Amino acid sequence: MTPGRAAIIEGWPVFVTALVVGTAFGLTARQSGLTVVETSATSLIVFAGASQFVMVDLLRTGAPAPLIVLTVVLLNARHLLMAAAIRPFVGSVSLARRLGLAYVLTDEAFAMGVGWFRRGHRDLTYFTVFGSLMWCAWNAGTLMGAVFGADVQDPQRYGIDFAITAVFAAIVVIGVRHRADAVIAVVAVLVAAGLRLAGASAVAVVVAGALAPVLSFALGESRE
Amino acid sequence: MMFWATVVASGIATYLMRSLPLALTLRGTAPPWLRRYLDALPIAIIAALAGAGVAVQDGQPTGGAEIGAALAVVAAAAWRRNLLLAVTLGVIAVAALRAVGL
Repeated sequence: MTPGRAAIIEGWPVFVTALVVGTAFGLTARQSGLTVVETSATSLIVFAGASQFVMVDLLRTGAPAPLIVLTVVLLNARHLLMAAAIRPFVGSVSLARRLGLAYVLTDEAFAMGVGWFRRGHRDLTYFTVFGSLMWCAWNAGTLMGAVFGADVQDPQRYGIDFAITAVFAAIVVIGVRHRADAVIAVVAVLVAAGLRLAGASAVAVVVAGALAPVLSFALGESRE
Repeated sequence: MMFWATVVASGIATYLMRSLPLALTLRGTAPPWLRRYLDALPIAIIAALAGAGVAVQDGQPTGGAEIGAALAVVAAAAWRRNLLLAVTLGVIAVAALRAVGL
């Protein structure tokens, strides 16, 4: 199977989710008073799911612009870690290509891409195809929700809202190579869940993701 | 006006965080401790995303359905190492567990 086909076959539950959640974003943004153009522009310019919902909510409540931007930065700071983590796989492709890959770097694209690299593949096609289709699904969903405003079937009833979390969990299990990885993963799960339950939603993932790998120094296993 | 300034600033900030580590080209080789840290980083971030997703959905602490379904995903992925199978089972499991009221 070619990398592009694999990205589509493995990625479709995530694309469906992005389409549905994107539609929900379009609806929410319109109900919060944004125009169709403003709603779509938000998805095109920011292209970061959770932080867009938070943005729209803060805009609606009249929060000052610097506070909104700061919140978005905190929510998306994890992307710094993700970009650093995939840097070794990106190698020496042209700067233009790297800047293009950065634009489609989402949680989902990062997780799926790492899942692909961990299976020993070295091509960037999988990541590119997956990231581009995620972008299409999110922006198409946003536009549909903003324009039609029709009722969205309750995604919770079908469990499709859980697909993204399931993707993350499965990629961790498949990607774990040795005991140190497993310990780090369990610690990251617990720290992120604890922080989020404690109300520190904005920084939960970036703090847990940045701290857990420090354990690799203590676990001291030989690599590979 | 305030809307556009906010969206453009948020978009630029988000893009800078995504692109800076990819745009930089490191000269020479990274020290061993940094290589080790970066090597462990991807799994830690994805695990953190999974943990956060299982703990809270839509601002509400999740119940037994999400935890049960997450365990089903872990078991399926460990058993077959097949991403699509594990995700499909997870979605079915969470829908079934929610249907029985968990």
